[in-house]
Amino acid sequence: MARVEERIDESALGRPRGDLARLPWVSFAIIAVLVLVAVLAPLIAPHSPTEQSLPDKLLPPAWEAGGSARHLLGTDVLGRDVLSRLIYGARVSLIVAAVALLAGGGIGLIVGIVSGYLGGRTDSFLMRSVDATLTFPTILIALLLAVSLGPGLRTIAIAITVLIWARFARVVRGEVLAVKTRDFVALARVHGCSHLRIMAVHIVPNVLNTFMVLLTLHIGFVIIVEASLSFLGAGIPPPTPSWGQMVSDGRSHIASAWWLSVVPGAAIMLVVLAFNLFGDWLRDWLDPRLRQV
Amino acid sequence: MRTWSLLALALSGLLVAGEPSSARAADKDTLVIALDTLGAQVMDPIMDTRAPHAHYQAPIWDSLVGFDLENGGIGPGVAERWQLAADGQSWTFYLRKGQRFHNGDPLTAQDVKFSLERVMSPESISSGAAALRRAVDRIEVVDDLTVRVHTKGVIPQFVASLSRAVFMEGSVMPKKYIETVGAKGFRERPIGSGPWKFVRSVPGDRIEYEAVTYPHWRGTPQFKRLTLLLVPEQSTRLAMVRTGEAAIASIGPEAVKEARAGGMKIVSVPGTMQAVYQFWGLYRPEAKGSPLNDIRVREALSLAIDRQQIIDHVMGKEARWPMPFAAFRYSSDMTVPRWDDWSRTALRYDPARAKQLLAEAGHANGFRLTFWNTALPGTPFMVPIGEAVAGFWEKIGVKVEMKTVEWGAFDPMGRGEQKGLVGTASMFRTAGRPEPTPRYATSFVSKSVQHLFGDPQNCPALCADADKAYEAIVAEKDDAKRTAATNRMIELVAKTWIAVPIVEGMGTWAVNPKNVGYFKPIPGRHEFGDVTERMPRPEQKPWP
Amino acid sequence: MQRFVLRRLAQSVLLLFVLALIVFALARVSGNPADLLLREDATQEDRAHLLRALGLDRPIHEQLYLFLAGALRGDLGESIRYRKPATEVFFERLPNTLRLLPLAMVGALALAIPLGVLAAVYRGTLVDRVSGAVAVLGIATPSFWLGIVLIYVFSIRLGLLPSSRMGGPSHYVLPTITLGLFLVAGMMRLVRSSLLEVMGSEFVKLARLKGLSQTVVIWKHCLRNALIPVTTLFGVYFALLITGAIVTETVFAWPGVGRLTYEAVIFRDYPLLQAVILLKAIIVLGVNLGVDILYAYLDPRVRYA
Repeated sequence: MARVEERIDESALGRPRGDLARLPWVSFAIIAVLVLVAVLAPLIAPHSPTEQSLPDKLLPPAWEAGGSARHLLGTDVLGRDVLSRLIYGARVSLIVAAVALLAGGGIGLIVGIVSGYLGGRTDSFLMRSVDATLTFPTILIALLLAVSLGPGLRTIAIAITVLIWARFARVVRGEVLAVKTRDFVALARVHGCSHLRIMAVHIVPNVLNTFMVLLTLHIGFVIIVEASLSFLGAGIPPPTPSWGQMVSDGRSHIASAWWLSVVPGAAIMLVVLAFNLFGDWLRDWLDPRLRQV
Repeated sequence: MRTWSLLALALSGLLVAGEPSSARAADKDTLVIALDTLGAQVMDPIMDTRAPHAHYQAPIWDSLVGFDLENGGIGPGVAERWQLAADGQSWTFYLRKGQRFHNGDPLTAQDVKFSLERVMSPESISSGAAALRRAVDRIEVVDDLTVRVHTKGVIPQFVASLSRAVFMEGSVMPKKYIETVGAKGFRERPIGSGPWKFVRSVPGDRIEYEAVTYPHWRGTPQFKRLTLLLVPEQSTRLAMVRTGEAAIASIGPEAVKEARAGGMKIVSVPGTMQAVYQFWGLYRPEAKGSPLNDIRVREALSLAIDRQQIIDHVMGKEARWPMPFAAFRYSSDMTVPRWDDWSRTALRYDPARAKQLLAEAGHANGFRLTFWNTALPGTPFMVPIGEAVAGFWEKIGVKVEMKTVEWGAFDPMGRGEQKGLVGTASMFRTAGRPEPTPRYATSFVSKSVQHLFGDPQNCPALCADADKAYEAIVAEKDDAKRTAATNRMIELVAKTWIAVPIVEGMGTWAVNPKNVGYFKPIPGRHEFGDVTERMPRPEQKPWP
Repeated sequence: MQRFVLRRLAQSVLLLFVLALIVFALARVSGNPADLLLREDATQEDRAHLLRALGLDRPIHEQLYLFLAGALRGDLGESIRYRKPATEVFFERLPNTLRLLPLAMVGALALAIPLGVLAAVYRGTLVDRVSGAVAVLGIATPSFWLGIVLIYVFSIRLGLLPSSRMGGPSHYVLPTITLGLFLVAGMMRLVRSSLLEVMGSEFVKLARLKGLSQTVVIWKHCLRNALIPVTTLFGVYFALLITGAIVTETVFAWPGVGRLTYEAVIFRDYPLLQAVILLKAIIVLGVNLGVDILYAYLDPRVRYA
């Protein structure tokens, strides 16, 4: 028996990897830099992100022919410094992601747990609301909000929240359905635990795994949705710098001024990758079952 | 699970295989144009309301009044000439001989009368229908080739409204055919008298046409077929022209550099629009304390803008120095050279003077200005122009609070009470059209939609002056007197600095010289619906 | 099972009714189509006439009554922009989108399952990390940008594939990649995490004890169970694709319902907007119902719970 246990351990599960020593340092560093840059934007940006200089438009990055050290990552169509816009854009992306995920993810988690655990009418009602939400196209919500609230950060954050909660709820519920049939839930009930206590103490830790996967995945998702909304003209309006808007604005210049979309695009890619890898580690670290192995 | 995927795979395989092959990548006999919009894509002239009709309806239908192909503005069309009666109350149109519809029926005065009445009918949603109803008293068929339109009062601008140089109300439709097949049948199998026959329309995708085989007064097409493709994304349109999948694509000025870099030719249509900014509701009591009510501040805001930089850098040099509000170099009813000179000096870039004026007005440290940045349909580049303008204002110390809104959200704010707009600035435009007067009526007359100077309940001196100036123009039959009156109106508005031109825009197109030969657009008409029939094949007229 | 399905159907009808009310209200909050149809120099009189012609001058409750009464008869009104029945406009475009969706899903799954299995089996190794990173690249790239870059590389630079539009099989390659790639990461992660979970469970240990080979255990015993959460997500992803096809359809000039929805919003085409959203909702609800039934079939615990 012990031998088999060992074999599984090695071949399928690998070694327990919850320790801090295995923290993915590169990802962690990228995230730390992102947060620092966002917080310190006014101190480190070489130029104002909105200051224009039309004669200096479309300057290539410093290392390309014709580039200058004044604009390390070049300038955009209105002669604004791409690096400075990137730095301020980090702020915008983080704020949108944080607000949308806290609100949307939180609502989704609660709805998913309540729905999956209680089942019956509550479940039907909540899941049908989820279905209804998922049938609504995001841009519709964003556009409608843009009309009533005016386009901007707040509108995007609300639109993404509305979109995201249902996705969280649906997946969390699926997980809860499997968890609640486990013995320890039945045992808790036999012991006279209240539903609220069972949900909080027994269910939540068991869906946290999934929740974290979703959360890390969705940081990227939020940034990408923001970009897509910019593409469709319902994003964060100029002159506020946002990475999505920058990629979107640069798309018509792929052949003649690649840095306009590649630079913010690469930033999005790096950050999304970092959050995902970091999330992987976080999940392993948080998963109680794997720690027991 | 596996079953499910297999099923899906089989299903999609089936769908791909079963799909009818669509328009091939351009063969040599087909002229393919990739467009950003096909409007309502409805094959009935009374059912579209905006400019894209001139992309896709113009190939099929001729207009009663046509174009001046060289200079822009109006010229002969289905009617080769027209005449205003001595009393100014009726217009007589003399039709070209030998015109016919695609089913062989001759085009007569009966069709013209029928078409105009159809445009005015209750089922019509054509945007000029209401104006036409207001203007037309009755229509009289004099003989097969002569038709007389009696107007309600003297309306010198009447003819222009029947030309596609301005709008679509002049399209001539086949009376007998429509009465036989009904409106629905007509929309499904439309026929007209134009140089291209309708073949098919795939909603949201494309419209296909076939050239007529007989000589046509607008020009006999050099290609056998014409296909208009709806390709909403500009980068994709550019790619299609580069690969030769399309011969021509509509592009914005910001893509000009990219298109040239890819070896494409650029065709610019001069004078298609004028980008302006304007201040709303300054006459209202709520706006009394606004710095904008000081004329020095308003002039300073204009002097702060380097228009040449906007032309060179935002518009990729595909734009021109603007004339006064709603005036173009091809405009009639005004003294063009005088206003050309005026605009060179009055609209100059002079930031030092701008700062001095601000200081004199007591705003040396600037002030807060709310600026609505929006783009009207068809001219998305208005937003970067607005951004550039805001940038120049910031440079003289104005703190601009820019609010970028989509047109559908902005437009209602400008109607009725204009509550959210009072005391703010916004982007706007005026479309290219021969006479400035109707556009002045929209913005400055007290009863107008925008009523920037005052409304009927609250009409200060400036507002009353504008009303008088307008009255003096509209009923004037004499060309010289009307020109003098129009000049006065332009002057009155120009010196208020309330609606200020930024640049004169051009319509820009990317062309693959291997697919189509050299051609010239019609000045002021962005759309190519009236140009396609004169486009040569690449070997007939190579690009210089 | 039958009762389960019937109950779900009844719920769906109720849901559609509520959705209809919401859509009706939201559409009217967003603006008025007349403002977009009129020229910028139109007078108030022109506007009034247009509203009358479009039937939008009627009081709001009367419009709502007409809409609901029509919807019951299957008539969702006439599109303001296209001057045709809205349902007709929708069903003209739907097949185009449906041609793309299964391909994108199958393509994504074909990439996600091997990556997910690899990552789970070689958990913690470089293989795991590389598979993860590959999958994540799909969501880390804005799809409109990916589409444009693909066009630039494959049609302009290499001249291998058509840049856009519907046509023969070669026309499907770029849109499928663009549409499907962002699904891979999510699917792959779920395959991986649920596979890991299943691999740690008792019955798998039992299977191993029976001496079954690693490959058989993983592919036969684990994967089927590990795919359950993925199945749940399929409903979500289908909904996401059918609404998210907007971007891909715009980039590739694909005349599908995604693009149509966007146009309906932008043009404030109330009847079309109402029709598109309701009909899409019906489709998504149908798919979800199907997924739930499949779910019950795949996971007996749900069926008997």
